[in-house]
Amino acid sequence: MKELSSAIQLIPLENYIFLSVALFSIGMMGVLFRRNTIAILMCLELMFNSVNLLLTAFSAYHSDPSGQVFVFFIMIVAAAEVAVGLSIVVMMKRNVDSIDINLLNRLKW
Amino acid sequence: MVALIPYITLAWLVPAFPLVGFLITSLAKNKLKHNQAGIIASTMVALSFITSVFLFFILNSSGQDSATLTLFNWVSAGDLKIPFALLIDHLSLVMMLIITGIGALIHIYSIGYMRDDERVNSFFAQMNLFTFSMLLLVMGANYLILFIGWEGVGFCSYLLIGFWFKNPAFNYAARKAFVMNRIGDLGFILGIILLFFTFKSVSFNEVFSQAATLQSGAPILTLITLLLLVGAVGKSAQIPLFTWLPDAMAGPTPVSALIHAATMVTAGIYMIARSSILYNLAPITSNVMIILGLTTAIITAIVGLRQNDIKKVLAYSTVSQLGYMFLALGLGAYSAAIFHVTTHAFFKALLFLGAGSIIHAMGGEQDIRKMGGLRSKMPITFLTFLIATLAISGIPPFSGFFSKDLILTKAFEISPWLYALALGGALITCFYMFRLFYLVFFGNQRLSSAHPHESPRVMTVPLMVLSVLSLFGGFLNIPALFGGDSGFENFLHKAVTSKESGEISSATEVGLIIVSLSLLGIIIVLAYRTYVKKSTVPAADGAPSSLIARIVANKFYLDEIFAALIEKPFGRLSDFLFKSVEVKVLDSAVDGVGTLTSRLGSLVRRLQQGNISFYLFAMVAGILLFIIFILFV
Amino acid sequence: MILLIILLLPLVTGLGILFLRNACTVRIVALTSTIVNLLLTFVVMGSSPAATFSVEWNNLMGISFSLGFDGISLLMLLLTNLLFPFIILAGFKREQNQISVLNFLILLTQAALIGVFLSQNAFLFYIFWELTLIPIYFILLLWGGENSRAVTLKFFIYTLAGSLFLLIGIIYIVQLTPGVHSTDFSVLNQLHIPAATQIWLFWVLFIAFAIKMPIFPFHTWQPNTYTMASTQGVMILGGVMTKMGIYGALRFLFPMVPQGVLYWQNIVLVMCLIGVVYASVIAFRQTNLKRLIAFSSMAHISLMAAALFIYNYYAAQGLLFQVLTHGLTVVALFYMVQLIQDKTKTLELPQMGGLKHAAPKMAILLLMILLVSVALPFTAGFIGEFLIIIGLAKQSIWVALFGGTTMILGAIYMLYAYQRIMLGDKNASLKNTTDLVRLDYWMLIPLIAILFILGIYPQPILNLVEVSANTMQNLLTSATGIVTAMPH
Repeated sequence: MKELSSAIQLIPLENYIFLSVALFSIGMMGVLFRRNTIAILMCLELMFNSVNLLLTAFSAYHSDPSGQVFVFFIMIVAAAEVAVGLSIVVMMKRNVDSIDINLLNRLKW
Repeated sequence: MVALIPYITLAWLVPAFPLVGFLITSLAKNKLKHNQAGIIASTMVALSFITSVFLFFILNSSGQDSATLTLFNWVSAGDLKIPFALLIDHLSLVMMLIITGIGALIHIYSIGYMRDDERVNSFFAQMNLFTFSMLLLVMGANYLILFIGWEGVGFCSYLLIGFWFKNPAFNYAARKAFVMNRIGDLGFILGIILLFFTFKSVSFNEVFSQAATLQSGAPILTLITLLLLVGAVGKSAQIPLFTWLPDAMAGPTPVSALIHAATMVTAGIYMIARSSILYNLAPITSNVMIILGLTTAIITAIVGLRQNDIKKVLAYSTVSQLGYMFLALGLGAYSAAIFHVTTHAFFKALLFLGAGSIIHAMGGEQDIRKMGGLRSKMPITFLTFLIATLAISGIPPFSGFFSKDLILTKAFEISPWLYALALGGALITCFYMFRLFYLVFFGNQRLSSAHPHESPRVMTVPLMVLSVLSLFGGFLNIPALFGGDSGFENFLHKAVTSKESGEISSATEVGLIIVSLSLLGIIIVLAYRTYVKKSTVPAADGAPSSLIARIVANKFYLDEIFAALIEKPFGRLSDFLFKSVEVKVLDSAVDGVGTLTSRLGSLVRRLQQGNISFYLFAMVAGILLFIIFILFV
Repeated sequence: MILLIILLLPLVTGLGILFLRNACTVRIVALTSTIVNLLLTFVVMGSSPAATFSVEWNNLMGISFSLGFDGISLLMLLLTNLLFPFIILAGFKREQNQISVLNFLILLTQAALIGVFLSQNAFLFYIFWELTLIPIYFILLLWGGENSRAVTLKFFIYTLAGSLFLLIGIIYIVQLTPGVHSTDFSVLNQLHIPAATQIWLFWVLFIAFAIKMPIFPFHTWQPNTYTMASTQGVMILGGVMTKMGIYGALRFLFPMVPQGVLYWQNIVLVMCLIGVVYASVIAFRQTNLKRLIAFSSMAHISLMAAALFIYNYYAAQGLLFQVLTHGLTVVALFYMVQLIQDKTKTLELPQMGGLKHAAPKMAILLLMILLVSVALPFTAGFIGEFLIIIGLAKQSIWVALFGGTTMILGAIYMLYAYQRIMLGDKNASLKNTTDLVRLDYWMLIPLIAILFILGIYPQPILNLVEVSANTMQNLLTSATGIVTAMPH
């Protein structure tokens, strides 16, 4: 554990932050502009993981394990979310024979 | 000398007997047969009477003025401590003797009177409950116990007025009596509360001993006494709260005799006499009582002139006599008021029971225009009724003469005008009583369908006992003028503090008596000429009559005025509050909030297009804006 | 520990009941559970106030699961546990849908109410406070009468909106606590919130309780809800849930914002007195028996609220005594209403009459209940209202006069109702009507007996609440000095 966190600290913190901001922005753009539902889900995962990365880095730099605990939480939630999300996609494919997100427009006034 | 303390513990028996009677007759209502309920109830009241007589002798021979018996601690909250305590002194003993003595006679009478009623057991249960409450009222050692009895008698009166509950008019009368009493009760309870704040106690002994140190005319005392007076006005049926009493005649006649003549309606007089120390210190209240009493006495006497229902006539005369008692209280002659309560209890109970006997004989008919010629058919009733009529008119040596004369003399001591007005009322009383008497017993029988007969022994014996009391009751208090020693007044002076008043010479006193007696004689003759010689029968209800006669016959339209000024606006206010304020304003305001929310919603929902990408875009934009706001603002 | 048992017993029994099929068994099990709870309450009353139960729950937000009691909560606990056996009993031998679900919901309400009264922690209090709404919502909705959907929805949203203010208030107060935040009453009560804050914070907290009680003009949910609700629903609502408002005010307003209370006292008092007269006057012309009783109940509650905000010693004692009396009276009265409806097939007063011929015993018992309601001496109603009126008179004789008008107006409409229902000539449509049966006696006699015994010997209850009433009063008097120095 000690070695791992010192290994993480070899790279300056800024680099982690830049990387995760980049990952997060890519994920966000994907979520906003893609129409393929599966792609959107994947972009979501990307955003999660950018946050996870950041949490881990901060955790190591602060030598406070609670950040990593949160990472585990997020992973679990993400796994659950993917399970639900994919099943929704499957149902969608079966019902309307398409996974275009813009077809899911019934949730409105 | 007998030690009072060991015997005083017996005092709890006095109210306990009727309570036991009530429990037996009400719980075993369906099992008691025939006359059993009546016999049990009468026995219980008679036992109370015997105990009271015993206590009377004990108190007399003990030389003590009063004794208190504390049974248990009723309410204790902070410095408010109200023990459940009974007070035995001369005043409460007089009242106890009246209640149990006359009560027992009326109970016995009722055995005959109510024999054929299907709910006779309930009747006796309620009568016993009434006796219990009334005894509590007069025996309570503090204002709160008095108030328990006060409300209790009001409730029993409600039950008994509406005893024949099939008739909606009777039920209405019962409700009216209860509500009007309640108006007074609110004043009464506020008075008690103020007493408590002023004296830190509601017990008679403590309040009076502290009040004696207060200055006469202190504003707080005036306020307290006025509030207590409001209670007394309600209970004792004075202007403006008297209209319930004539209506209360809806109850069975023994009820009218016991509750609405002899006992309950005199509770207000008892209470004020009990608080004589407070009232002595409140001259304003005393003046109010003089005005109230005199007005009530005269106005209701005038109304009594045009009544044709035998019980209504008696009811108005009761209100009028109560007015005299209030006059006496206002004059500071508290023992005179109690003396009049006593004699009035004798002769008015007798009059009502006599009226009951007549109604019984006439098969339920109460209209005196339809009676007549009953003298030969009902000799005992005739004779006893005559005694009572003479007594209420104030003819010596009947009891009413002594008590009424005492009050009139006291009035003269204050002002001759007061005397003249009071005497005027007495003359009117004499006229309508003899009008009633002549119409009922003289002339020809005007209703052919009835077959009048003398009542059974169980009813006539109480009549006879009461007529003896009405005849000789006045001798309890023979004034010094006739060589007496004013025994009754002296007896009461140990419990009641009467105001000192100026003496008038015995020559003046004799003169006054001669004036009043000769006027009374003229009135009786006048009534005789009108109703026996000319056999005038009052006109039927629908017959045309003069405006004044109509006003009088309709009791100055007081009920109508009440209805127009209070009942109707109250009902309208109720409707207005419910239909307009409650539904249209308050509830609409609440619904309006809901409507507003849904209106806003329908505006904002345009944003919800259903396009997930748009939602996501909005979300991200929102978060970015938020971050910018935090970082740069 | 015993407190935890009292809290959980109804919940556990309620869940167990869901699996029972036989209607009769369901009812008997539910009744037994409530009776056991009542007995446990007596045990608690005998034990010392130290018998509390506390577990840390969420350290971060300072929430602890702590149960405890003082005189006031004990009285409320007694009220709840005394009434619920009767509420369950009221459903016996009656045609009802989904008996096991209904009894589950009733027991759940009981558990939630017990939780409200025993919580020693503001957050826990709030959870239970909201929890009571859920079962009562379904009881009112599914077993209610005509138009139950709209009426229940309004009731639900109205009270929920009030609770929202309460939540905001609690959060605001909690973030004022020094150091590690705590939501325990013991900590919150020690806070000295600045007077200026108290003045607005008072309303945030007050609204929730005002709606629950209800105080004029926040009462409009009440008449319709009472009129529509099933007997058991209205018993819970009128008997216990309205007292939650009073209890909440005692728990929050007086210890936490005493200066706010003093600052607004007169205005709130006027609202209460308007409520007394307003409700009584409206009750006077109501033709629907349930609506009449709803308004009469509002008049009584308003008088209690006036006593609450005048808060001197007598008023406090009277108020707490009246809380118990009113609960018992409401349950007895609504059971009577149910019987009347069963027998006459209507609730409209003008269509009734003459029931006394067919059911004389019922008439006597009804009259006895009405006597308690119009505060005749020797009934519990008198002790409570008398003490309250003394308390009001201590402030001003005019306040007492207005408060006392219930004595007159109550007599008017209650006796009117009695006359319309019972008296009058025989009614042909009531020919086959029977008098009370044994179940009715089991229901009514104990209630009436308690009400009369308390009227003759009220001391046990007065003693029970005396210490707490004293403490509360001291809180307020100690705040007096500060508030008078403050510019208005």
